[in-house]
Amino acid sequence: MKRETYIASIAEARAKLQELLQDCDSPQIETMLRNADMELHWALWNLGVTVPLRPEEEYGRSAQRAGK
Amino acid sequence: MNYFASDNERAPSGVAPSTTDGLSLLGKRARESKFWNEYTETLPRDQLDALHLQRLQAMVDYAYQRSPFYRKKFDACGLKPGDIQSLEDFKRKVPITDKSEFIELQLEAPPYGPTLALPSEFVAHHCETSGTTGKPLAIPYTAYDTVRYGESWVYGYWGLGIRPSDTFYFAFGWGNFAGFWSAYWGARRLGCRVISGGGLDTKGHIQAIMRMRPTVLISTPTFALRMAAVGAEMGIDLAQSSIKYTYHAGEPGPTALPAMRAAIEKAWGAKSGELLGIAEIDAMAPGCPNGDGVHVNEMNVFAWSMNPDTGAEVAEGEVGENIVTTYSNTAQPLLNYRSHDLVRHRMSCSCGRTWVKLDGSVLGRSDFMMTVRGTNVYQTAVENLIGEMPEVSNSYELVLTNEDGNDVMTIRFEPSTAFADKTELWSDIEKRLSDHIHEGLHVRLRATAVAPGSMPRYELKTKRIVDQRPKQFRRALDR
Repeated sequence: MKRETYIASIAEARAKLQELLQDCDSPQIETMLRNADMELHWALWNLGVTVPLRPEEEYGRSAQRAGK
Repeated sequence: MNYFASDNERAPSGVAPSTTDGLSLLGKRARESKFWNEYTETLPRDQLDALHLQRLQAMVDYAYQRSPFYRKKFDACGLKPGDIQSLEDFKRKVPITDKSEFIELQLEAPPYGPTLALPSEFVAHHCETSGTTGKPLAIPYTAYDTVRYGESWVYGYWGLGIRPSDTFYFAFGWGNFAGFWSAYWGARRLGCRVISGGGLDTKGHIQAIMRMRPTVLISTPTFALRMAAVGAEMGIDLAQSSIKYTYHAGEPGPTALPAMRAAIEKAWGAKSGELLGIAEIDAMAPGCPNGDGVHVNEMNVFAWSMNPDTGAEVAEGEVGENIVTTYSNTAQPLLNYRSHDLVRHRMSCSCGRTWVKLDGSVLGRSDFMMTVRGTNVYQTAVENLIGEMPEVSNSYELVLTNEDGNDVMTIRFEPSTAFADKTELWSDIEKRLSDHIHEGLHVRLRATAVAPGSMPRYELKTKRIVDQRPKQFRRALDR
């Protein structure tokens, strides 16, 4: 699989995770989702993608877009 | 008890033990890779530099927005995040920082003062390192930082040949020392089994290795040699043990000192690797598989080389001080940070990695730091503590020797005038000085009183360091 395909698929998976994170009411599940997203953020970083330093910086933007 | 594993009993590296039932931690293609991450480890220089610029811009913005320390520092010199438009801008415009600044601020408002860039609930792990004043630098890491930090080790592990089927033995009392915590984070990331030696004494470590048959030893290089010597006293030849790889950090090791590599590899019958780390920065430079240097992990760190006297950048191949910026410590950002390590940058390597290579790892220090039993000891810190002892005169020297591969520092001193003729009190002064140093620096140095007037006097700069170690146990620039 091409690098570009990995990047697109990982970004898609992260978008799904962020949707779930915004409505999560279980500390256990939210922690797991955040850990999963952290790993995917790290994968993008190590595929040479320019992403913010920490995934939480993106959560803030997503949450603002969602009006939370 | 049969302590010795025959060759065919050793777990073969790179082969998963569970292949018969189809389960393994990595797929076949990944397992056969020469690199941990071939794409980034071999990325052409222009692409690496473009990536650095984007990440450094983000780092400057992050530090400015989140760290009160950096906000104040940048404001003081009129720097705004948007001012960084090139790598040259970053090197020239972002102020150089030093460990002492952080320590002073942390002392005013412990534990981290205004250096913390995130709410304290993000701090998942705390480490400390020695400082030039003898005061420790507190180092916060987020959970994500520990993942990033550990990853640096894995590049070195993988390059040496270590695979998920290997078992690590940590011959180390953990404490707050970042070096071996991060080595552990790396072993976890690679998927290896971990055995902690914890608080065992040297014989206990050897017995544990013989009983549990690990394949990788993690220790300071001098302790690896110490273990081999104690093993011989116990009638155990560790070259016949299960250990196939030894990996080291914390003091000059097999990459910086070829004689050290030869001694360790012979004593353990194993292949040795070394990583250059800076506790507050990252395990920043895993060893090159060629064994003659380390590669800066350019996914975690941006490094350039500076003339410590002029502040100007030095050219490739020249010796300069390594100036580093970490992407992996997001709890306490460090930008254009003085490492005080004197290094020689190379931009290419026959191993295929494009990441900056530091020939021979660290060649010397710009701040008179020595390493004794894995602990960094600064000349200034020792001198400050000696100055607090009224029984000790200003005539003293720090004598470095090497015993069984271990660096030893002895303080030779003349007692002060009030005690000059009270020789019966000298041994008590020696003990109190040694205790005082131990209390301040957590390392035990020997202290020896000598007759007043017997030490050399200098008209100009007093020579405090007397290095009596054999050349092969000194860094290149100390020889």
